[in-house]
Amino acid sequence: MTAPVLLAIATLFAFEAQTVWDGVYTADQAKRGAALYADRCATCHGLALTGGESAPALTGGDFMSNWSGLTADTLFDRIRTTMPADKPGTLTRAQTADVLAHILSAGGFPAGQTELPTQTEYLKQIRIEAVKK
Amino acid sequence: MRSLLLLALLTLPLLAQSTRTGDWPTYTGDNRGTRYSPLDQINASNFSNLEVAWRFKTDNLGPRPEYKLEGTPLVVKGVLYTTGGTRRSVVALDAKTGEQLWVYQLREGKRAAIAPRQLSGRGVSYWTDGKGDDRIVFVTTGYRLVELNAKTGQPIASFGKEGMVDLKVGMVTGTGKQIDLEEGEAGLHSTPLIVKDVVIVGSSFKEGMTVITHNNTKGLVRAFDAKTGRLLWTFNTIPRPGEFGNETWQNGSWATNGNTGVWTQMTVDEDLGLVYLPVESPTSDYYGGERPGDNLYGESLVCVDLKTGKRKWHFQIVHHPIWDYDLSSAPILADIVVDGKPIKAVALPSKEAFLYVFDRETGKPVWPIEERPVPQSDVPGEKTSPTQPFPTKPPRYARNFIDVPDDLIDFTPEMRAQAKDIMARYKTGPMFLPPIVGDGKGLLGAMQLGNASGGTNWPGAAYDPETHIVYAQANQSAVSPISLRKPPYGFSDIRYVLGRNDTEFRVSEGPGFGTAADSPLAQRRPVAPAARPAAAAPAGGGLTVQGLSLVKPPYGVISAINLDRGDLQWQVPYGETPDAVRNNSALKGKDLGNTGQGGSVGLIVTKTLVVLGDSQMTSVMHPRAAMLRAYDKATGREVGAIPMPAPQSGSPMTYSVDGKQYIVVAVSGGAYSGEYIAYKLPDHE
Repeated sequence: MTAPVLLAIATLFAFEAQTVWDGVYTADQAKRGAALYADRCATCHGLALTGGESAPALTGGDFMSNWSGLTADTLFDRIRTTMPADKPGTLTRAQTADVLAHILSAGGFPAGQTELPTQTEYLKQIRIEAVKK
Repeated sequence: MRSLLLLALLTLPLLAQSTRTGDWPTYTGDNRGTRYSPLDQINASNFSNLEVAWRFKTDNLGPRPEYKLEGTPLVVKGVLYTTGGTRRSVVALDAKTGEQLWVYQLREGKRAAIAPRQLSGRGVSYWTDGKGDDRIVFVTTGYRLVELNAKTGQPIASFGKEGMVDLKVGMVTGTGKQIDLEEGEAGLHSTPLIVKDVVIVGSSFKEGMTVITHNNTKGLVRAFDAKTGRLLWTFNTIPRPGEFGNETWQNGSWATNGNTGVWTQMTVDEDLGLVYLPVESPTSDYYGGERPGDNLYGESLVCVDLKTGKRKWHFQIVHHPIWDYDLSSAPILADIVVDGKPIKAVALPSKEAFLYVFDRETGKPVWPIEERPVPQSDVPGEKTSPTQPFPTKPPRYARNFIDVPDDLIDFTPEMRAQAKDIMARYKTGPMFLPPIVGDGKGLLGAMQLGNASGGTNWPGAAYDPETHIVYAQANQSAVSPISLRKPPYGFSDIRYVLGRNDTEFRVSEGPGFGTAADSPLAQRRPVAPAARPAAAAPAGGGLTVQGLSLVKPPYGVISAINLDRGDLQWQVPYGETPDAVRNNSALKGKDLGNTGQGGSVGLIVTKTLVVLGDSQMTSVMHPRAAMLRAYDKATGREVGAIPMPAPQSGSPMTYSVDGKQYIVVAVSGGAYSGEYIAYKLPDHE
């Protein structure tokens, strides 16, 4: 087997079966996301992501029950297409990824060395799991 | 032959559209609020065999998908009618296949984008002259009453102005100032009540937690001629000078306060000619310092004459309301027998988890409702009522305050200790504990349960007219500490709003606010800059012990309440244990039983079953799904369940076409956009 083929296989495995427990965002990204979140999301969802009368919590059991078992693109697209509720579509893809990184960080999922991607096809390969398997 | 003819004639009136003929012609199945259907094809032996008959996705009924679809469809003569989508469109579908027959939508622009009730609505109503003139009646996001030809979806030209009546006309603030027709505050998402040739419509307003004025639009209930749209009568839910109850607004405060709408379903006794109005809170939800007095008809059940709209009787469920105990559910008409005596009763499910039962002709409580002393407010300017009404029967059907420490989580001693530590930061006490001015250095708020989103909320309950039993789902884990603060300078004319002085002020908007089709909004409500740095803990919510509820399970219950005896026939946990509980590392290996789920959902009762769906997705005991469940109505035992792709978000209904029974339920939430799903039994085993 040639080296490039081996490398290709290694790369394939590296990106396979990732979950939110595998460090899928960076600390810097979550920090950028936190600032964006405070500005654009906190009015309804609360600074501590605990929700309010008008919007659900973005952390905790109820939130995870909606998303655990799905892939990250579903949550990314929910934010992209409907949020912020009063001005949907006003976050760039990179900003959406930053906000998602903040939500993951607040949910106790570890940061890593690679930023959360903005491409749907890549996000599809990251599973949201409430519990580390 | 003659007797056969006579029989045919006698049964003819019964063949009008009703649940007895397999139809579901109103939001609650009938005008009595029962959600009962005598259908029995789907039963305990086959419920788990149900399969999808059809699905209807509401994504394309507006410019973007919706994630809180709350509608319950009607079915009349094989056609299903309902609302959906971010533009609150009306659709007619073939009830057997889900094929779309027509769609109606009104582009209301800014009027809808700033509306106080922006979700896609609870559904539509149906009117017929019995001779082929069939109409669908609904209220738009922008508060217009519209009538459509049931066959074509086209507006009825002879109704109102080109098929619609502008419901904002006649809505006032203060002592009678007409609100602006475009930007004035008024809306509704419940369905009109239709009886004979009368259409009765309520009103609702913005969320009342952080109001910009206490002098907002005044609530009312109006009746219109179903054929022409002509106004027949108006009932002022804030009585004017000279009207009964005006003196319960001391210092003339009727003139400077608003709200007190009827936002949920009303019911009617057609024979008695009496209409039952469940009235919500006056402005504001948690502070009543600008409106001393009992404030009729705030949080009252009001009975009015169908022909005139004149008050027959009323019962105020909460005096001087400051707990957001809006009357949330359709009053249920029940013909019961108590101690051998037949009583025409009306039973009101509630956020308080009490079922208030009255003689519906006189308003006299069937069992005594006692005035008992309650804690008093120390918020400046607030004067709470010294007593509040407590039913003696039936008993409460869910927890309605937190009894410390007995009600606190007790899975482990550590968890109980943590819960007690959290509770020590709050004022605690019995029901009707008033809000306090919270402070980060002292008590953070007054700990309450159930007022905002507990007990039985807008989905209401169901009633079996054969067995005289009410079935109600109730949330008993809605922990909500309430703290008040002064609003930022220039924000409001009210002295206190929801919040804490030591945290950043945030405006509370209602569910779905900002999601209507024509958002983005031109402008939002003004928000003054925060005077002090933000703190992490908000005024409400976010109170958990290791990710679990502060209170012990069951988090939600389903109850069967016998109305002849005034007692609980059975009570079981609602749904199944949430993943967050099963996955909690501190609880590994512990048998917790079924903790049930919180949330607020509607149900139906059939010949043998009570049917309702989960409010949460779960994935530990089965592949990821929210279950639609059937319970034996006699015992509460779960007898069947099928997986749905998202939680139940609208109340179910059932009907029969060509000998086949269907159950339709609205699902949505999280990743899953709004969808109506119809279930039926397989055609072949």
